[in-house]
Amino acid sequence: MSQRPALFVAIILAAAVVLAALPLVLPPFYVRVGQLMIYSAGLAVAWTILGGFAGYASFGNAAFIGVGAFTAGLVEERFASLPTPLLLPLGLVVGGFACAVLSAAVAYPILRLRGTFFAIAMLGVCHVCAELNNNLDVLQGSLGLNFPSITPAGWDPATFFYELYLVAGVIVFLIAWQIQRSRFGAGLLSIREDEDTARMLGVPTERYKRIAFVVSAVLTGLLGVIYAHSLGYITTDSVYRDDTNLNLIVYSLLGGLGTLFGPVIGAFMLVFITQVVLARLLDFHLFATGLLLVVLVLAAPGGVLGFVKSWRLKRRYAARVPAE
Amino acid sequence: MSAPILRVEALSKRFRGLLAISDVSFAVEPGSITSVIGPNGAGKSTLFNLVTGYLAPTAGTVSFKERTITGLATNRIAELGVSRAFQIARPFRDLSVAENVRIGALFGKAGARDVAATTREALALAGMTHLADEPASVLTVGQLRHLEVARAIATRADLLLADEPCAGLNPTETAAMIDVLRRIRASGVTVVLVEHDMPSVMEVSDRVLVLDAGRLIADGAPAEVSKNPQVIAAYLGTPD
Amino acid sequence: MNLIAQTVADGLVLGGIYALAAVGFSLIFGVLHVINLSHGIIVLMGAYLALIFSETLHIDPLLTMPLVMASLFAVGYVYQRFLIQYAVDSSAFGSILLTFGVALMLHNIMIWVFSPDMKNITPTYAFTSIKLGPIVLDAVRVSCLVASLVLLSCLAGLLKFSPLGRVIRATAQQTLAARLCGVNVRHVYALTFAVSAAFAGAAGIVIGIILPFSPADEATWTLNAFVVVVLGGVGSPAGALIGGLLLGVVSTLTAQYIGPSFPNVTMFLLLVLLLLVRPQGLLGNAFAPSR
Repeated sequence: MSQRPALFVAIILAAAVVLAALPLVLPPFYVRVGQLMIYSAGLAVAWTILGGFAGYASFGNAAFIGVGAFTAGLVEERFASLPTPLLLPLGLVVGGFACAVLSAAVAYPILRLRGTFFAIAMLGVCHVCAELNNNLDVLQGSLGLNFPSITPAGWDPATFFYELYLVAGVIVFLIAWQIQRSRFGAGLLSIREDEDTARMLGVPTERYKRIAFVVSAVLTGLLGVIYAHSLGYITTDSVYRDDTNLNLIVYSLLGGLGTLFGPVIGAFMLVFITQVVLARLLDFHLFATGLLLVVLVLAAPGGVLGFVKSWRLKRRYAARVPAE
Repeated sequence: MSAPILRVEALSKRFRGLLAISDVSFAVEPGSITSVIGPNGAGKSTLFNLVTGYLAPTAGTVSFKERTITGLATNRIAELGVSRAFQIARPFRDLSVAENVRIGALFGKAGARDVAATTREALALAGMTHLADEPASVLTVGQLRHLEVARAIATRADLLLADEPCAGLNPTETAAMIDVLRRIRASGVTVVLVEHDMPSVMEVSDRVLVLDAGRLIADGAPAEVSKNPQVIAAYLGTPD
Repeated sequence: MNLIAQTVADGLVLGGIYALAAVGFSLIFGVLHVINLSHGIIVLMGAYLALIFSETLHIDPLLTMPLVMASLFAVGYVYQRFLIQYAVDSSAFGSILLTFGVALMLHNIMIWVFSPDMKNITPTYAFTSIKLGPIVLDAVRVSCLVASLVLLSCLAGLLKFSPLGRVIRATAQQTLAARLCGVNVRHVYALTFAVSAAFAGAAGIVIGIILPFSPADEATWTLNAFVVVVLGGVGSPAGALIGGLLLGVVSTLTAQYIGPSFPNVTMFLLLVLLLLVRPQGLLGNAFAPSR
């Protein structure tokens, strides 16, 4: 795949076109599930730029969903007189910018931590942002914030946001893919494998980690801005969600940590299971998610792709031994 | 002779009460193989850590190509053209041999490069071409040492610091490693070795530095150094 | 002046409890290198067990402590030996995810059994207070602080002087060497976890007496423990005590002088500040490679 980038892009775009056509045939309930699947996959891929490629697993990326959403909402409220088609682009610009500033500011202390310390410190960042957002009245976190309707006339809102998520998701995916195959991506990979050795080989580890962190944060924030518009009304609790923080890690683990397709596969699977299979068991949600985690850790530590890979390796070695 | 590629001046490193490196000065000529020897705990690895920026010295300076590098970050020193192969190999375990070496080729010394060609050459120089597609996690200790060296060379470094590349290898493997080091020098790279294995040191080195308890006690051609009574007392005299 | 003294005194009382609630987390991290995200839920299990025992047996909640600690000791041993150990063996993130999953399951079970509402444990002496010069301390808080300090000293003594403590410390410092000396490392890990769970449960009782609690608090207690460990350093009761007292004083001072709705903000700013100044924690090494 990495040898034929044009072919790869063509396949991804073809898959996107097929997905884009699905709302024509799917019943409305499944369009909404599809929305959530694509949104989650987009978040998971944005997460994986730092968490999967560089091994810095954040447990607080919902901070950027919240900061992006609230910044966009507050600014759009001030500029409510603008023509409707300009509102979302405005929100995306300011939301993304806010996430860039926030992530660049916390990058220095936070990225000194490794492994689980980084993960939990990010959870702290998320809680602090949520708390400030909730308690400073100008930010309207506890009061709630309304978003203008941006659905063009003649569109069904569910279908419109489905297509919007799809466009955003494909862009995020292609950015992540470009990063993975670049020199920058190789540097991130070496950081994940052994940060000290990477630095000794001349990888500017500090700068690379910071860039990956900011890119991941901004993409997460942009998706958060779209999410807020699709909800129409948000409070602190609806965007700074700990279950999002957790799910972003679970998606990658379920699909295959460190890979590009892993988070997508994981997000599609988990959203489908929780939204469709467990839809009628709301009281059991926490329990079911917890159980899924426990089973996942014990049964398939490498995720779906890890499982496939080890199976392939086994076959390769099995095929080779008799030949020698 | 041309200007020294590496110059260490009055270098000291203190860990709490222990003076690990004490007022060490020497210079390394370009294109040579220099060995640093000494009993266990003499400060050889600390010296390497100081040169590559892993540790900050308590006093003294290190300069590379007439430029002071003390206090620079490890990756900046690598960008100038200093590389290091660890004694305990630290491969990127999830990657293949070629991918490991490619990381060295992608980064390392600043400047234009052909990544694929550099990777190929480094693999060939270290005699690892036939293992290119193997995962690093399946290599033997000897093969891992070669991988360390290949990855370090792929950075296009002008100075390679190799930390006991022959430790724990059998005679055949040691001979192969010595051969690789010679080829590396022939390709124009200056080599500084820390080594325990005396016969291989005497065979391959142009010059030998002897450390004992953090001090430089001898410096000269292998033949001279092995006759130096101080060295014999400190090092050769004691059975390993 | 009086207000400051009173606030600091309240902070120290609270801090003693934070320390007790964090010490198990610290021990597990120091010895097993596992971040136990189900720590908060174990603390709450202590509180709920104390509630059940004191109501059914009609005894003072503090007197349920041996019972609660014994039950959680057993739970902790089994939990580590038969669940967490497998996760540790399987992948780098295994233990953190597994403990999180278990926390979610237990959280849900607690909601079914005890409802999501706030609960209280009220001892008979709830409304008496002690005057120390200008500072007023109610009897409940003082008895809880005393209980915390006694328990922390017991744990410190256990680690320092008992044979079990020696084995635990040896395993933490040189796992391989301990194994070569004939230590059954998995058994020691499970015992460490059991001790930690017992102390977390004891902390739960004390917390239950002082503050109202609900299943949703588990995340707060896990996060608190994490902060205390980062502040004080990993693995030692003394580190937990220092971290806990610091956190307690800072949070009461913030609540008094900045506003009661920002506990996480100050906690986190304190954390960041400390990381910049002293990345290894106030005592010991909190940031040894954790991967």
